[in-house]
Amino acid sequence: MADKPKVAVYWLGACAGCDESIVDLNETLLQLAQVVDIVLWPVAMDFKYAHIEALKDGEISLSILSGSVRNSDHEEMAGLLRKKSKLVLALGACACFGGTAGLANFKTKEEIFSWVYLDAPTVVNPEARFPQTETRVDGKVLTLPEFYDHVYTLDQIIEVDYYLPGCPPPPDLIANAVNSVLTGDLPPIGSTLAPRMALCDTCSRNKKKPSKMEITQIKRIHEVEADPDSCFLAEGIICMGPATRTGCGETCMKTNLPCRGCFGPPPGVVGAGPKYLSALTSLIKAEKTEEIHEIIKDIVDPAGYFYRFTQPSSILGRKKPKKQMEE
Amino acid sequence: MAESNPKLVCFSCKFGWGYLSEESALASKITNWIPVVCSGKIDTSHILKAFRAGADGVLILGCSEGHCHFQDGNIQTEKKVLLLQKVLETFGIEQERLEIQLSMDPDGQNIPLLIKKMEENLIKLGPIKRL
Ligand code: SF4
Ligand code: SF4
Repeated sequence: MADKPKVAVYWLGACAGCDESIVDLNETLLQLAQVVDIVLWPVAMDFKYAHIEALKDGEISLSILSGSVRNSDHEEMAGLLRKKSKLVLALGACACFGGTAGLANFKTKEEIFSWVYLDAPTVVNPEARFPQTETRVDGKVLTLPEFYDHVYTLDQIIEVDYYLPGCPPPPDLIANAVNSVLTGDLPPIGSTLAPRMALCDTCSRNKKKPSKMEITQIKRIHEVEADPDSCFLAEGIICMGPATRTGCGETCMKTNLPCRGCFGPPPGVVGAGPKYLSALTSLIKAEKTEEIHEIIKDIVDPAGYFYRFTQPSSILGRKKPKKQMEE
Repeated sequence: MAESNPKLVCFSCKFGWGYLSEESALASKITNWIPVVCSGKIDTSHILKAFRAGADGVLILGCSEGHCHFQDGNIQTEKKVLLLQKVLETFGIEQERLEIQLSMDPDGQNIPLLIKKMEENLIKLGPIKRL
């Protein structure tokens, strides 16, 4: 037991979908459990954080962290696991780029609190009480983590060694990543453990792309019956494939849904959002200002589309954390 | 942003704007001026990086419709700009902070005037609130 490499799996600001994808390794997970010592995995097993604190620095071979960093508890756990681990893998779109939760950066903390605790139609809060980091009850102090005013990617808070994007990442890439760590067959630090091409390069619908694409009308996927073999973009349906890394297994495509971009940009692209915006507008067939307006008015919430998974890592969305973990 | 001195970045196409004037003479009158070979060359990331670096506004000057030396670089950029304005709004950056004008000005004398006009608008808007 003691000789087996230690692995920790932890969720920060996450939905547990990434954990679910690890569970989806099925039998592979059982084989894995024989060769590694899982020291932490809140979604599946019971451990105490004190056990992690008691480990030597660097004693954990690999920590797999999903989720973004939104509160002081996330920051603390990310810092603790970084300290105790040789390698940290950012698992999933949230940890890698901020994920869907990162869209909250389009609102301030005050706006979010007002809506959630006061203004939402299902909320009854006549005394306008908001969560406090400390509350005194019967002489005792109850504490809650501090909700930050920003959603951070994992690498804005701690050093990250490897990235595996996706929402959630597919089990086959998770198995490959863990195997690479176990065998020591790893690419340079900082690499993303997924293919390097864009989704369009591997998409079967690409064959049906017309040689010259011209979009004259933007359609939303629920408004049309999309042809199951045609390129979505060619039909005027927003598909993030051109600005998204492949490797997801095309589960969305297979259910006749366009790519939403959860694998983030292909290598070398800083900001999937603006790159996609440029690619999309280049396909729009319009020669006059009014024609451009007429077509783009149907793109409802363009920022939400283009930054769905990447707002906190984007050129305008990224922010330096106010306080870094000590040490 | 000092009240009287908003930071404005101006990109302009060399084919339509100021090609009859000495570039260095014009440049001495205009701060943060980036003449480019075709406005189509201006990428969305250039605009975003300008805002990230602290610009209060970005002005893009391209050739008039039908006069692009590369067929439609000006229209390609106009499409990007019009959609990017909507995206910027969500980031808390008012649409008026990104402007595009497609026109011709061989002497380039209008460039400082257009910048002045936009700067006045930027003063009214005040600093960018959210970044
Ligand atoms: S990447 Fe997706 S599946 Fe993973 S934690 Fe974030 S929202 Fe959930
Ligand atoms: S745009 Fe979408 S549907 Fe078209 S080839 Fe690319 S990934 Fe496939």
